[in-house]
Amino acid sequence: MKKLVPLATVVLALGIFVAACGSDDSDSGSSGVEVTDVWARPTTPTADAGAIYMTINSKDGDSLTAAKVPSSIAGMTQIHETTTDGEATSSEDSMESGDSMSSDDSMGSDDSMDSDHSMEGGSMMGMKEVSQIDIPAGETVTLEPGGFHIMLLDLKGQIKAGDTIPVTLTFEKAGTVEVDATAQDQ
Amino acid sequence: MEVLRIRSLTFGRVLVPILLVAALAVIVTGCGSDDSSTELNGITRVPPAKTGNLSLPDYSPQSGGKKVAVRGNEDGLMLVYFGYTSCPDVCPTTLADLRNALAELDPAQRERVQVSMVTVDPDRDTGRVLNGYLAHFFEPGEYHSLRTTDQALLNRADEAFGASHKLGKPDADGNYDVSHTALLYAVDPKGTVEVEWPFGTDADVIADDLKTLLDNNSQNPDA
Ligand SMILES: [Cu+2]
Repeated sequence: MKKLVPLATVVLALGIFVAACGSDDSDSGSSGVEVTDVWARPTTPTADAGAIYMTINSKDGDSLTAAKVPSSIAGMTQIHETTTDGEATSSEDSMESGDSMSSDDSMGSDDSMDSDHSMEGGSMMGMKEVSQIDIPAGETVTLEPGGFHIMLLDLKGQIKAGDTIPVTLTFEKAGTVEVDATAQDQ
Repeated sequence: MEVLRIRSLTFGRVLVPILLVAALAVIVTGCGSDDSSTELNGITRVPPAKTGNLSLPDYSPQSGGKKVAVRGNEDGLMLVYFGYTSCPDVCPTTLADLRNALAELDPAQRERVQVSMVTVDPDRDTGRVLNGYLAHFFEPGEYHSLRTTDQALLNRADEAFGASHKLGKPDADGNYDVSHTALLYAVDPKGTVEVEWPFGTDADVIADDLKTLLDNNSQNPDA
Protein backbone atom coordinates (compact mmCIF):
# COMPACT_ATOMS: atom_id res chain seq x y z
CA MET A 1 0.00 0.00 0.00
CA LYS A 2 3.07 2.23 0.01
CA LYS A 3 2.20 3.44 -3.48
CA LEU A 4 -0.92 4.97 -2.07
CA VAL A 5 0.62 7.56 0.13
CA PRO A 6 2.48 9.37 -2.65
CA LEU A 7 -0.65 9.16 -4.78
CA ALA A 8 -2.76 10.70 -2.07
CA THR A 9 -0.13 13.35 -1.54
CA VAL A 10 -0.12 14.23 -5.22
CA VAL A 11 -3.87 14.43 -5.32
CA LEU A 12 -3.92 16.65 -2.29
CA ALA A 13 -1.13 18.78 -3.67
CA LEU A 14 -3.25 19.42 -6.71
CA GLY A 15 -5.82 20.83 -4.40
CA ILE A 16 -8.35 18.20 -5.27
CA PHE A 17 -10.42 16.76 -2.52
CA VAL A 18 -10.67 13.08 -3.41
CA ALA A 19 -13.89 12.70 -1.49
CA ALA A 20 -15.34 15.68 -3.23
CA CYS A 21 -15.79 13.65 -6.42
CA GLY A 22 -18.78 12.13 -4.80
CA SER A 23 -19.82 15.05 -2.71
CA ASP A 24 -23.12 15.38 -4.51
CA ASP A 25 -23.92 11.87 -3.49
CA SER A 26 -22.41 11.71 -0.07
CA ASP A 27 -24.29 14.49 1.64
CA SER A 28 -27.81 13.15 1.40
CA GLY A 29 -28.35 15.56 -1.46
CA SER A 30 -30.31 14.86 -4.58
CA SER A 31 -29.27 11.21 -4.75
CA GLY A 32 -30.18 10.57 -1.15
CA VAL A 33 -27.20 8.31 -0.47
CA GLU A 34 -24.83 9.13 2.37
CA VAL A 35 -21.73 7.04 3.03
CA THR A 36 -19.84 7.56 6.28
CA ASP A 37 -17.32 5.85 8.57
CA VAL A 38 -15.49 4.11 5.75
CA TRP A 39 -12.64 2.03 7.16
CA ALA A 40 -10.40 -0.85 6.18
CA ARG A 41 -8.87 -3.38 8.46
CA PRO A 42 -5.05 -3.35 8.42
CA THR A 43 -3.75 -6.64 7.05
CA THR A 44 -0.86 -8.87 7.92
CA PRO A 45 2.19 -8.84 5.61
CA THR A 46 1.28 -12.20 4.06
CA ALA A 47 -2.48 -11.66 3.74
CA ASP A 48 -4.04 -11.96 0.32
CA ALA A 49 -7.47 -10.69 1.35
CA GLY A 50 -8.82 -7.62 3.11
CA ALA A 51 -12.10 -6.05 4.10
CA ILE A 52 -13.63 -2.58 4.00
CA TYR A 53 -16.58 -1.45 6.12
CA MET A 54 -18.87 1.59 6.06
CA THR A 55 -22.22 3.01 6.98
CA ILE A 56 -24.72 3.80 4.22
CA ASN A 57 -27.88 5.84 4.58
CA SER A 58 -30.42 6.34 1.83
CA LYS A 59 -33.22 8.87 1.95
CA ASP A 60 -35.20 7.40 -0.92
CA GLY A 61 -33.99 3.81 -0.87
CA ASP A 62 -31.21 2.41 -3.06
CA SER A 63 -29.00 -0.63 -3.57
CA LEU A 64 -25.24 -0.95 -3.50
CA THR A 65 -24.49 -3.10 -6.53
CA ALA A 66 -20.71 -2.90 -6.93
CA ALA A 67 -17.53 -1.71 -5.26
CA LYS A 68 -14.10 -1.24 -6.75
CA VAL A 69 -10.66 -0.27 -5.52
CA PRO A 70 -7.66 0.50 -7.75
CA SER A 71 -6.06 -2.59 -9.26
CA SER A 72 -2.79 -1.47 -7.69
CA ILE A 73 -4.38 -2.34 -4.34
CA ALA A 74 -6.44 -5.46 -5.03
CA GLY A 75 -7.00 -7.60 -8.09
CA MET A 76 -10.66 -8.14 -7.33
CA THR A 77 -13.34 -6.47 -5.23
CA GLN A 78 -16.61 -8.13 -4.21
CA ILE A 79 -19.54 -7.47 -1.91
CA HIS A 80 -19.59 -10.15 0.78
CA GLU A 81 -21.83 -11.25 3.57
CA THR A 82 -20.59 -13.24 6.54
CA THR A 83 -22.80 -16.23 7.16
CA THR A 84 -23.35 -18.54 10.08
CA ASP A 85 -23.69 -22.32 9.85
CA GLY A 86 -21.88 -22.82 6.59
CA GLU A 87 -24.44 -21.13 4.35
CA ALA A 88 -21.53 -19.76 2.42
CA THR A 89 -20.59 -23.06 0.90
CA SER A 90 -22.66 -25.59 -0.91
CA SER A 91 -22.90 -28.76 1.05
CA GLU A 92 -22.24 -30.88 -2.00
CA ASP A 93 -18.78 -31.74 -3.17
CA SER A 94 -17.19 -30.35 -0.11
CA MET A 95 -14.79 -31.84 2.36
CA GLU A 96 -16.48 -31.80 5.67
CA SER A 97 -14.76 -32.34 8.92
CA GLY A 98 -16.08 -34.16 11.88
CA ASP A 99 -18.45 -32.02 13.80
CA SER A 100 -19.47 -34.23 16.63
CA MET A 101 -19.83 -32.72 20.03
CA SER A 102 -18.32 -35.75 21.66
CA SER A 103 -16.19 -34.88 24.58
CA ASP A 104 -14.50 -38.21 24.97
CA ASP A 105 -10.78 -37.98 25.01
CA SER A 106 -9.92 -41.15 23.22
CA MET A 107 -7.85 -39.19 20.79
CA GLY A 108 -5.78 -42.16 19.84
CA SER A 109 -8.72 -44.01 18.34
CA ASP A 110 -9.41 -44.06 14.64
CA ASP A 111 -11.12 -41.00 13.38
CA SER A 112 -14.75 -41.38 12.55
CA MET A 113 -14.93 -38.97 9.67
CA ASP A 114 -16.86 -41.33 7.46
CA SER A 115 -19.65 -41.76 9.93
CA ASP A 116 -22.70 -39.61 9.46
CA HIS A 117 -22.27 -36.59 11.68
CA SER A 118 -25.30 -34.64 12.65
CA MET A 119 -24.91 -30.87 12.71
CA GLU A 120 -24.54 -30.59 16.42
CA GLY A 121 -21.15 -28.89 16.45
CA GLY A 122 -20.73 -25.21 17.10
CA SER A 123 -22.16 -23.14 14.30
CA MET A 124 -19.76 -22.51 11.45
CA MET A 125 -19.08 -19.08 10.01
CA GLY A 126 -18.15 -18.40 6.43
CA MET A 127 -18.81 -15.75 3.82
CA LYS A 128 -20.37 -15.51 0.42
CA GLU A 129 -20.55 -13.00 -2.39
CA VAL A 130 -23.85 -11.13 -2.68
CA SER A 131 -25.08 -9.29 -5.76
CA GLN A 132 -26.23 -6.21 -3.86
CA ILE A 133 -26.98 -4.68 -0.49
CA ASP A 134 -30.39 -3.02 -0.27
CA ILE A 135 -30.76 0.19 1.70
CA PRO A 136 -34.48 0.83 2.27
CA ALA A 137 -35.71 4.41 2.18
CA GLY A 138 -34.79 6.37 5.26
CA GLU A 139 -32.74 3.57 6.76
CA THR A 140 -29.10 3.02 7.57
CA VAL A 141 -27.15 -0.12 6.77
CA THR A 142 -23.81 -0.69 8.46
CA LEU A 143 -21.22 -2.90 6.84
CA GLU A 144 -19.37 -4.26 9.86
CA PRO A 145 -17.44 -7.30 11.09
CA GLY A 146 -19.72 -10.32 11.13
CA GLY A 147 -22.15 -8.73 8.67
CA PHE A 148 -21.48 -7.29 5.21
CA HIS A 149 -18.07 -6.21 3.97
CA ILE A 150 -16.38 -5.11 0.80
CA MET A 151 -13.99 -7.98 0.15
CA LEU A 152 -10.60 -7.25 -1.35
CA LEU A 153 -9.06 -10.25 -3.08
CA ASP A 154 -5.62 -10.72 -4.60
CA LEU A 155 -4.16 -7.96 -2.43
CA LYS A 156 -1.10 -6.34 -3.98
CA GLY A 157 0.44 -5.24 -0.71
CA GLN A 158 -0.05 -4.93 2.99
CA ILE A 159 -2.72 -2.50 4.19
CA LYS A 160 -1.20 -0.58 7.08
CA ALA A 161 -2.92 1.51 9.71
CA GLY A 162 -3.27 5.05 8.40
CA ASP A 163 -3.35 4.08 4.71
CA THR A 164 -6.08 5.58 2.59
CA ILE A 165 -7.86 3.47 -0.02
CA PRO A 166 -10.09 5.11 -2.62
CA VAL A 167 -13.28 3.09 -3.11
CA THR A 168 -15.70 3.52 -5.99
CA LEU A 169 -19.20 2.44 -5.02
CA THR A 170 -21.96 1.90 -7.55
CA PHE A 171 -25.56 2.39 -6.48
CA GLU A 172 -28.57 1.43 -8.55
CA LYS A 173 -30.08 4.94 -8.41
CA ALA A 174 -27.35 7.23 -7.12
CA GLY A 175 -24.79 5.91 -9.55
CA THR A 176 -21.12 6.22 -8.69
CA VAL A 177 -20.02 7.43 -5.27
CA GLU A 178 -16.33 7.88 -4.46
CA VAL A 179 -15.22 7.48 -0.87
CA ASP A 180 -11.94 7.00 0.98
CA ALA A 181 -11.41 4.16 3.41
CA THR A 182 -8.96 4.78 6.22
CA ALA A 183 -7.10 1.74 7.50
CA GLN A 184 -7.46 1.49 11.26
CA ASP A 185 -7.57 -1.13 13.94
CA GLN A 186 -10.96 -1.69 15.46
CA MET B 1 -34.81 5.80 12.51
CA GLU B 2 -35.86 2.35 11.50
CA VAL B 3 -33.39 -0.34 12.36
CA LEU B 4 -32.50 -2.75 9.64
CA ARG B 5 -31.82 -6.43 9.68
CA ILE B 6 -28.10 -5.90 9.28
CA ARG B 7 -28.14 -3.42 12.13
CA SER B 8 -29.48 -6.11 14.39
CA LEU B 9 -26.52 -8.21 13.42
CA THR B 10 -24.50 -6.06 15.74
CA PHE B 11 -26.39 -7.77 18.46
CA GLY B 12 -26.37 -11.02 16.55
CA ARG B 13 -22.61 -11.12 16.69
CA VAL B 14 -22.91 -12.19 20.26
CA LEU B 15 -26.48 -13.28 20.65
CA VAL B 16 -27.10 -15.53 17.69
CA PRO B 17 -24.17 -17.88 18.27
CA ILE B 18 -25.02 -18.07 21.95
CA LEU B 19 -28.65 -18.89 21.24
CA LEU B 20 -27.65 -21.46 18.66
CA VAL B 21 -25.31 -23.15 21.02
CA ALA B 22 -27.90 -23.01 23.78
CA ALA B 23 -30.39 -24.66 21.46
CA LEU B 24 -27.84 -27.39 20.99
CA ALA B 25 -28.25 -28.30 24.62
CA VAL B 26 -25.07 -26.63 25.73
CA ILE B 27 -25.44 -24.92 29.03
CA VAL B 28 -24.79 -21.23 29.05
CA THR B 29 -23.70 -19.87 32.36
CA GLY B 30 -23.18 -16.43 33.72
CA CYS B 31 -24.03 -14.53 30.54
CA GLY B 32 -23.95 -10.83 31.08
CA SER B 33 -22.24 -10.82 34.44
CA ASP B 34 -19.38 -8.42 34.02
CA ASP B 35 -18.07 -8.31 37.55
CA SER B 36 -14.77 -9.96 38.34
CA SER B 37 -16.36 -12.80 40.21
CA THR B 38 -15.65 -16.46 39.77
CA GLU B 39 -18.53 -16.63 37.33
CA LEU B 40 -17.40 -16.94 33.74
CA ASN B 41 -18.98 -14.79 31.04
CA GLY B 42 -18.28 -17.18 28.19
CA ILE B 43 -19.91 -20.48 27.39
CA THR B 44 -19.13 -23.47 29.58
CA ARG B 45 -20.21 -26.99 28.74
CA VAL B 46 -21.29 -29.81 30.98
CA PRO B 47 -19.37 -32.01 30.69
CA PRO B 48 -16.51 -29.93 29.33
CA ALA B 49 -14.75 -30.87 26.11
CA LYS B 50 -11.29 -32.40 26.61
CA THR B 51 -8.29 -32.31 24.35
CA GLY B 52 -6.90 -35.53 25.85
CA ASN B 53 -3.51 -36.34 24.37
CA LEU B 54 -4.06 -34.19 21.30
CA SER B 55 -0.89 -32.65 19.97
CA LEU B 56 -0.36 -30.82 16.70
CA PRO B 57 2.70 -29.69 14.73
CA ASP B 58 3.64 -26.12 15.65
CA TYR B 59 5.34 -24.08 12.91
CA SER B 60 6.05 -21.09 15.13
CA PRO B 61 9.71 -19.96 15.16
CA GLN B 62 10.33 -21.47 18.61
CA SER B 63 8.99 -24.90 17.69
CA GLY B 64 9.85 -25.24 14.01
CA GLY B 65 7.32 -27.96 13.25
CA LYS B 66 7.62 -29.97 16.48
CA LYS B 67 4.35 -31.20 17.93
CA VAL B 68 2.98 -29.38 20.94
CA ALA B 69 0.31 -30.55 23.37
CA VAL B 70 -2.93 -28.65 22.98
CA ARG B 71 -3.31 -27.57 26.60
CA GLY B 72 -2.08 -24.95 29.03
CA ASN B 73 1.41 -25.03 30.56
CA GLU B 74 1.76 -25.76 34.27
CA ASP B 75 -0.61 -23.18 35.76
CA GLY B 76 -1.44 -21.52 32.46
CA LEU B 77 -3.97 -21.54 29.65
CA MET B 78 -3.79 -22.27 25.96
CA LEU B 79 -6.28 -20.25 23.94
CA VAL B 80 -7.20 -22.12 20.77
CA TYR B 81 -8.84 -20.78 17.62
CA PHE B 82 -9.64 -22.64 14.41
CA GLY B 83 -9.37 -20.38 11.39
CA TYR B 84 -7.49 -19.57 8.19
CA THR B 85 -5.42 -16.61 7.12
CA SER B 86 -7.35 -15.67 3.96
CA CYS B 87 -10.21 -14.85 6.29
CA PRO B 88 -10.44 -11.04 6.31
CA ASP B 89 -13.48 -10.54 8.50
CA VAL B 90 -14.26 -13.06 11.22
CA CYS B 91 -10.76 -14.31 12.14
CA PRO B 92 -9.00 -10.95 12.43
CA THR B 93 -11.93 -9.58 14.40
CA THR B 94 -11.60 -12.32 16.99
CA LEU B 95 -7.79 -12.21 17.06
CA ALA B 96 -7.85 -8.43 17.46
CA ASP B 97 -10.36 -8.81 20.32
CA LEU B 98 -8.00 -11.35 21.89
CA ARG B 99 -5.00 -9.07 21.39
CA ASN B 100 -6.89 -6.34 23.23
CA ALA B 101 -7.91 -8.76 25.97
CA LEU B 102 -4.31 -9.90 26.52
CA ALA B 103 -3.25 -6.27 26.79
CA GLU B 104 -5.52 -5.96 29.83
CA LEU B 105 -3.63 -8.67 31.74
CA ASP B 106 -0.69 -7.84 33.92
CA PRO B 107 2.64 -9.20 32.62
CA ALA B 108 2.73 -12.09 35.11
CA GLN B 109 -0.74 -13.20 34.04
CA ARG B 110 0.00 -12.75 30.37
CA GLU B 111 3.09 -14.96 30.62
CA ARG B 112 0.85 -17.85 31.58
CA VAL B 113 -1.25 -17.54 28.43
CA GLN B 114 -0.37 -19.07 25.08
CA VAL B 115 -2.34 -18.51 21.89
CA SER B 116 -2.76 -21.24 19.27
CA MET B 117 -4.37 -20.91 15.89
CA VAL B 118 -5.14 -24.18 14.14
CA THR B 119 -5.40 -23.59 10.41
CA VAL B 120 -8.32 -25.36 8.75
CA ASP B 121 -6.76 -24.50 5.37
CA PRO B 122 -3.27 -26.04 5.63
CA ASP B 123 -2.72 -26.11 1.87
CA ARG B 124 -2.81 -22.33 1.58
CA ASP B 125 -1.63 -21.59 5.11
CA THR B 126 1.97 -22.68 5.15
CA GLY B 127 3.89 -22.33 8.39
CA ARG B 128 5.45 -19.12 7.12
CA VAL B 129 2.07 -17.61 6.23
CA LEU B 130 0.60 -18.64 9.55
CA ASN B 131 3.53 -17.15 11.48
CA GLY B 132 3.26 -13.88 9.58
CA TYR B 133 -0.43 -13.73 10.39
CA LEU B 134 -0.11 -14.45 14.10
CA ALA B 135 2.94 -12.22 14.57
CA HIS B 136 0.67 -9.35 13.53
CA PHE B 137 -1.43 -9.89 16.66
CA PHE B 138 0.78 -11.53 19.28
CA GLU B 139 4.24 -11.40 20.81
CA PRO B 140 7.01 -13.74 19.66
CA GLY B 141 6.95 -16.90 21.77
CA GLU B 142 3.34 -16.26 22.76
CA TYR B 143 1.69 -17.88 19.74
CA HIS B 144 1.68 -21.34 18.20
CA SER B 145 1.06 -21.89 14.49
CA LEU B 146 -0.68 -25.25 14.51
CA ARG B 147 -0.91 -26.90 11.13
CA THR B 148 -1.27 -30.43 9.85
CA THR B 149 -1.92 -31.78 6.38
CA ASP B 150 -3.04 -35.05 7.96
CA GLN B 151 -6.79 -34.72 7.49
CA ALA B 152 -7.57 -37.38 10.08
CA LEU B 153 -5.51 -35.54 12.70
CA LEU B 154 -7.17 -32.22 11.86
CA ASN B 155 -10.57 -33.88 12.19
CA ARG B 156 -9.59 -35.28 15.58
CA ALA B 157 -8.63 -31.77 16.64
CA ASP B 158 -12.04 -30.52 15.50
CA GLU B 159 -13.80 -33.28 17.37
CA ALA B 160 -11.90 -32.68 20.57
CA PHE B 161 -13.41 -29.19 20.67
CA GLY B 162 -16.77 -30.03 19.12
CA ALA B 163 -15.73 -27.78 16.24
CA SER B 164 -16.10 -28.28 12.52
CA HIS B 165 -14.91 -26.80 9.27
CA LYS B 166 -15.70 -27.15 5.62
CA LEU B 167 -13.74 -26.36 2.47
CA GLY B 168 -15.86 -25.63 -0.58
CA LYS B 169 -15.25 -27.01 -4.04
CA PRO B 170 -12.55 -25.02 -5.85
CA ASP B 171 -13.78 -22.75 -8.65
CA ALA B 172 -12.11 -22.38 -12.08
CA ASP B 173 -9.36 -20.25 -10.52
CA GLY B 174 -8.75 -22.74 -7.75
CA ASN B 175 -10.31 -20.50 -5.11
CA TYR B 176 -12.58 -22.09 -2.56
CA ASP B 177 -14.73 -20.99 0.33
CA VAL B 178 -13.89 -21.91 3.88
CA SER B 179 -16.28 -22.05 6.78
CA HIS B 180 -15.32 -22.92 10.31
CA THR B 181 -16.47 -22.84 13.89
CA ALA B 182 -15.50 -19.38 15.05
CA LEU B 183 -15.23 -19.91 18.80
CA LEU B 184 -12.22 -19.10 20.92
CA TYR B 185 -11.44 -21.79 23.50
CA ALA B 186 -9.47 -21.70 26.76
CA VAL B 187 -7.76 -24.99 27.63
CA ASP B 188 -6.28 -25.67 31.05
CA PRO B 189 -3.13 -27.73 31.82
CA LYS B 190 -5.19 -30.90 32.05
CA GLY B 191 -6.65 -30.42 28.60
CA THR B 192 -10.07 -29.36 29.82
CA VAL B 193 -11.80 -26.72 27.73
CA GLU B 194 -12.82 -24.40 30.55
CA VAL B 195 -14.69 -21.79 28.56
CA GLU B 196 -15.38 -20.75 24.99
CA TRP B 197 -16.25 -17.35 23.59
CA PRO B 198 -18.39 -16.82 20.49
CA PHE B 199 -17.50 -14.46 17.68
CA GLY B 200 -18.07 -10.87 18.74
CA THR B 201 -17.31 -11.28 22.44
CA ASP B 202 -15.86 -8.01 23.72
CA ALA B 203 -12.18 -7.91 24.66
CA ASP B 204 -13.14 -6.76 28.17
CA VAL B 205 -15.32 -9.83 28.64
CA ILE B 206 -12.56 -12.17 27.45
CA ALA B 207 -10.04 -10.42 29.71
CA ASP B 208 -12.38 -10.72 32.67
CA ASP B 209 -12.73 -14.47 32.12
CA LEU B 210 -8.99 -14.91 31.62
CA LYS B 211 -8.32 -13.23 34.96
CA THR B 212 -10.90 -15.42 36.65
CA LEU B 213 -9.44 -18.61 35.18
CA LEU B 214 -5.84 -17.64 35.94
CA ASP B 215 -6.77 -16.74 39.53
CA ASN B 216 -8.57 -20.04 39.99
CA ASN B 217 -5.70 -22.05 38.54
CA SER B 218 -3.10 -20.44 40.75
CA GLN B 219 -5.27 -20.88 43.84
CA ASN B 220 -5.94 -24.57 43.28
CA PRO B 221 -3.29 -25.98 40.97
CA ASP B 222 -4.75 -29.44 41.49
CA ALA B 223 -8.38 -28.47 41.01
CU1 LIG C 1 -15.28 -11.81 2.38
